[in-house]
Amino acid sequence: MAAVDTRPAAARPTRPARRRSAGAGGRGLKGFYVALATVLAVVTVFPLLWMITSSFKGPDEVVNGRLTIEDPTFDNYVYVFTQVPFLRYLANSLFVSVVVTVVALFFHSMAAYALARLRFRGRETVFVLVFSTLLITIPAIIIPLFLIVRELGMLNSYAGLIVPAVFNAFGIFLLRQFYLSVPDELEEAARIDGAGYWRVYWSVILPLSRPIFSALAVFFFLANWNSFVWPMIITSDQALTVVQLGISGFQDQYGADWNYVIAASTVAALPTMLVFFVFQRQIVDSIKTTGLK
Amino acid sequence: MVHRHRHASPPGHRGPDRRALLRGGLGLGAAAALAPALAGCGPSEADAPLSFWSFNGDAPQQEGQVQQQSRWYLDIIDDWNAANRQQVKAQYIPLAVYNNGSKLPTAFAAGDGPDLFVISPGDFLRYYNGGVLEDLTPHITAEARTDFLPNVLDTRSVGGRVYALPFEVEPIAMFYSVASMEAAGLSEADIPKTWDDLLDTGDKLRSAGQGGIALETVPGYYQNFVWYPLLWQTGGDVVTPGGKVVFDSPEAVKALGLWKDMVEAGISPRRNPAAGDAVTGFTQGLVSMWHRGIWTVKEMETSAPDFEYGVFRLPIPDGGTYVTSLGGWAFAANAQGRNPDAAARFCAEALASMSESSIDRVTEWSIGVKTDIPPRTSALERADASGGYDRPVMKAFREEIYAGGRSEPRFPPIVYKAVSDAIQSCMLAGGDPAVEAERAAEKIDGFMLTYEGAKLL
Amino acid sequence: MTVGEKAPEAAAPAPSAAPVGRSTGRGKAETRAAWLFLAPDLLGLLTFLGLPMVLSVALAFMRVDGFGTYEFVGLENFRRMLGDPQFYDSLRLTLVYLVLVVPLTFGASLGLAVLIQRRMPFVGVFRSAFFLPYSVSVVVVGLVWEFMLSDDVGVVGIALRAVGVRPPSWLGDPDFALFTVVGLCVWFWMGYYMIIFLAGLQDIPRDYYEAARLDGAGAWAVFRHITWPLLAPTSFFVLLTLTVAAVTGGFELILVLTNGGPSNGTSVLVFYIYQQAFTFGEFGYASALSAFLVLILLAWSMMLFALTRGGRFSHGRS
Repeated sequence: MAAVDTRPAAARPTRPARRRSAGAGGRGLKGFYVALATVLAVVTVFPLLWMITSSFKGPDEVVNGRLTIEDPTFDNYVYVFTQVPFLRYLANSLFVSVVVTVVALFFHSMAAYALARLRFRGRETVFVLVFSTLLITIPAIIIPLFLIVRELGMLNSYAGLIVPAVFNAFGIFLLRQFYLSVPDELEEAARIDGAGYWRVYWSVILPLSRPIFSALAVFFFLANWNSFVWPMIITSDQALTVVQLGISGFQDQYGADWNYVIAASTVAALPTMLVFFVFQRQIVDSIKTTGLK
Repeated sequence: MVHRHRHASPPGHRGPDRRALLRGGLGLGAAAALAPALAGCGPSEADAPLSFWSFNGDAPQQEGQVQQQSRWYLDIIDDWNAANRQQVKAQYIPLAVYNNGSKLPTAFAAGDGPDLFVISPGDFLRYYNGGVLEDLTPHITAEARTDFLPNVLDTRSVGGRVYALPFEVEPIAMFYSVASMEAAGLSEADIPKTWDDLLDTGDKLRSAGQGGIALETVPGYYQNFVWYPLLWQTGGDVVTPGGKVVFDSPEAVKALGLWKDMVEAGISPRRNPAAGDAVTGFTQGLVSMWHRGIWTVKEMETSAPDFEYGVFRLPIPDGGTYVTSLGGWAFAANAQGRNPDAAARFCAEALASMSESSIDRVTEWSIGVKTDIPPRTSALERADASGGYDRPVMKAFREEIYAGGRSEPRFPPIVYKAVSDAIQSCMLAGGDPAVEAERAAEKIDGFMLTYEGAKLL
Repeated sequence: MTVGEKAPEAAAPAPSAAPVGRSTGRGKAETRAAWLFLAPDLLGLLTFLGLPMVLSVALAFMRVDGFGTYEFVGLENFRRMLGDPQFYDSLRLTLVYLVLVVPLTFGASLGLAVLIQRRMPFVGVFRSAFFLPYSVSVVVVGLVWEFMLSDDVGVVGIALRAVGVRPPSWLGDPDFALFTVVGLCVWFWMGYYMIIFLAGLQDIPRDYYEAARLDGAGAWAVFRHITWPLLAPTSFFVLLTLTVAAVTGGFELILVLTNGGPSNGTSVLVFYIYQQAFTFGEFGYASALSAFLVLILLAWSMMLFALTRGGRFSHGRS
C-alpha cells in the first residue's frame, strides 16, 4: 500500500557514473559518520562517566572535577547498601515500574487500536480529549489527585504508586500514530477469516506492536523508575520507599556527603541503563517484525 | 497473518476491562466524596497512633550522627508512649523532601497533615494563619515559660499564646579556614570586624589565590534568613512590629549593597561551593570563609575532625550595631489533627516541662546530638556546666556570637519573596539596591494593606 | 502508510467487507468494540487526570489557604495574574526557553537518529550512549551537572580555561542560567526523541533507500526527498509532545539546580506554578496560572491538529 515516491528516479540517467563515486565516497563517508558518532557519544556520556568514576572517589576527591581517581574506594557502595535498605528500595522501584509498564502497554495499545483503526462516532472528540490530558501541568493537579487516591483508599500502598501512574496519553498517542500506518491488508486478511475485533487486535495488532512496545516499555519503565514527586507524596511507610526517595535520604540539612549521594545515584541508574541495553536491539530490529515491506 | 478462529471473543470481555471499569466507578465515587474532602476533614481513627513528621526521627541511615538524632526523637516518643494511652509514632521524611517538597503542603491542603511536626520560623505564619497550629500554652507552666531564653518564644507566639516550641537556637557567623588565612599572610589579628575589613580581607584572600568568601546564593527562605543580620546591623528592618513597611530605606540599600559588592568584586562565588557542603568546601580549599550557622561545627567535627578552622562574629557596617539571626526548628501540634490536645501536651512535655528529662533532653540535643544553643536557661546552664562550650569555636558562639542575636523573622510568602527578589537581583543580576529596595517595599506595602493575619515579627 | 490519503471518514478499514451489506450491523458492533477497547484507559484518564484537572480549574476560582479553606472568589486569581509582573517575566522566560529547547532538541534527536540508523560498527553502543542521559533521574542529572559546571572546579570551566576562554558562571549568572538549563534539557531529552525518530525511520521501507542509492542520490537528497516526507507523522508527534513536555516538565530540574534563581533567571512558568502552590501555599493562584497554561497549549495543539488533519499524513504522491 505504501505509495511509491518517484522523485529519486529522477536521478536515474547519471546512475552508472555516480554509482562508482558514491561507493568510493561511501567508505570515506562511513568513516566520517563513525568518527562523528564517536565524538558525539563521548561528549554525551561524559557527565555520566564522571558520575561513575566519582562514585569510587573518597569524600576528598569527589568534587575535584577530574575524571581520574587517585585513591579508588568501594566504601561509598558499601555505605549505600549497609546504611539503608537500598535493596528493598530497588525492589520496590522494580516492582512498581514493571507492573505499570506491562499494564500501561496493554491498556494503551487497546485504546490506540480503537482510536486508529475502528470507526465510531465521537472518535475524534475522544482522541482530542485523551490528547488534552497531556497538557496538564502536574503541580496543578497534585492535590486533587491526592484527594482522589485517598478516597480510593490507595494512600501509602503499592496500588497508589501503580494505578495512577498507568494512565498517560503519551503512550496512547504514540501507539495511535503507529497504528495509523499499519497497512489495511493485514487486518483485512484476518477479518475475511471472520476474526472479531478482539482477535484482530490480539493476533494482528499486538504482534505488529512489538518494536514500538519495546521503545515504549523503555520509556514507561524509566519514567516510573525515576519518578520522585508522586511516590514522595503518597507513601510514608518505609517499606514502600522507592529508590529515588531513598537517594534523597543521603542529603542532610545543610549539605551532603556527595560521594554517597553519587554512589547511590549510580546504583539507581545502572538498572535503567541495563534495561536500555537489553531493549535497544529490538527497537532497531523492528523492521523485520512490523511486516511493513 | 491469517487466523481461522471464527468465534473470537469480542474485546472487553476480559478480566482487566471489568476491573478497570470497577476502578473507574470508584473514581466517580471519589468525585462525589470530594466535597467533604475539600472541606478538609481527614479520616479519623481514634486509636491509631499520632503521626510525628520530622527529618530525623526514625531515619533509616545507620550512621552515627544520623542515628543519634533519630534516637533523640525516638526516646521522646518512647517516654511518652510508656506513660500515655494515646500513642505517637515517628515518621521520617528526608530533609530535601521536608524542606522544599510538595509532601507537607499536599498533606495539609488535603486535611491529611501530620498530628505532630517540626516547623521553621519561615513557615510559622502561614501555618498559624491557616489555623492548623494548636495552642500549646495550656500545657506549659509559668515557670517553664520563663525558663525559655528571652525572645525565642516571640516568633512562635501570637497574642501571648505559644504555638510552637523551639528545641534549638542556631546563630549565624563567619567560619574561616586557618590554612587559607595563613596562605594569604593573614593572622587572627586580621579577622575582619567591619564590612570594609571584610571586603579587604576578601581581596587579599583572592589575590593570594585562595578560595573566596561563600555567601548563600540559592533563592529561598534560608538565603533571606542568613542575610537579615546585614539589614538589622544597619538599623534597618522590613516591617516594624506595628506593621509599617520600612524596607525602602538607606539602611536596606546599604545592606543590599554589601553582598552585591562582594560578588561583583569577585570575592564571593555566584554558586555555593561544593554544592553547599561546608566540609568539602573547606577541606578542598574551595572556600576560605563561609557565612553560615552553628550546625557547621558538628559537620566539621563529624567529617573533618582534624581540619583547622575558626569562627568570628559577622562584621558590622560603620556605625552599625552587631546583630545575628537565630534560626532553629520547633515542635508543633496540628489543631486539625486527630487528637490536638494530646499532641499539644506531647510537645510541652517533651520540650517545655521543668522535669529533669525535659531539661536534659534539650541540653543533650544542643551539645551532644548537634551543636546548638539550647533555647532554655536551665538547659544552657547544664550545657555550660558539662563543658559543652569549652572548645574555642563553641565558646565563641556562646559568648560573642549568640549575644545580640535576633530570631529569624516569620514573614508570609509575599514578604519573603519581595525581599528575596531584592537580594537576588542586587547580588547576582547587577540590580540597583535603591531601585530594588523601593520595588520590594511597594510589593510588601500592597500586601500589608489587605493582610489580616497575625503580626509579622 | 496510506490511511491519510483519504479523508478520515472515507478511510474505511474494510472496503472489501462493505459490499456484503453488513455495514449497519457492523457499524454498531464496531462502535461497541471501540468503546470497550477504550474503556480501561478512558476510565483511568478520567479518574486520575480529567477529574483532578476539573477540580484544579475549580480551584482557580477560589482562594485556597493550603489548610482546608476553600473560598470562592470569582475571577480574582485571574485579575491578580494580569497584574503580576513575575507572571509576565516567567511567561517571557518560558517563550525564550521554548524557542530554544524545541528546535534544538528536535534537530539533535533527528540528526542523531539519521546518523545512527545507517549500518555502522558499534551502532548499539552509539544508540545506548545517546540515550543514556535520559535513563538517569533528574535529581541525579542536576547533581552531576552542578559539579560539572561549578565555577571553580567544574570540568567544563577547566576545559575552557585550558584553551584560554574565561568561562561564565553557568548557573550563577542570570544572563547564562536559562541557556545552561536549555542545554541540559537538550542533552537530557535528545536520546528520548531519537528513539522515537528511530522507530519512525524503521517504518520507511528500505527499498526506497535502495532505489535512491542505485540512482546515486546524495545523502542530503535522500533525506530531503525520502526521509523527511515519510517521517512527517513522527515529526508531528515529536514536535507536539516535545513542546508540551518542555512547557509542563522541566520544573524538577530547575528545582534541583537553581530553585528559580539566580534572580528569577530560570523561573519559567511551570516553576512559578510549583512555587506558588508548594512554597507559598497559593493553590488557587497556581491553579489559575496552570489553567492559563493549559489553554495556551490547547490552542497550539489544536492548531497543529487542524493543519495536519488530526495527525494523519499522506506520503509520497501529494
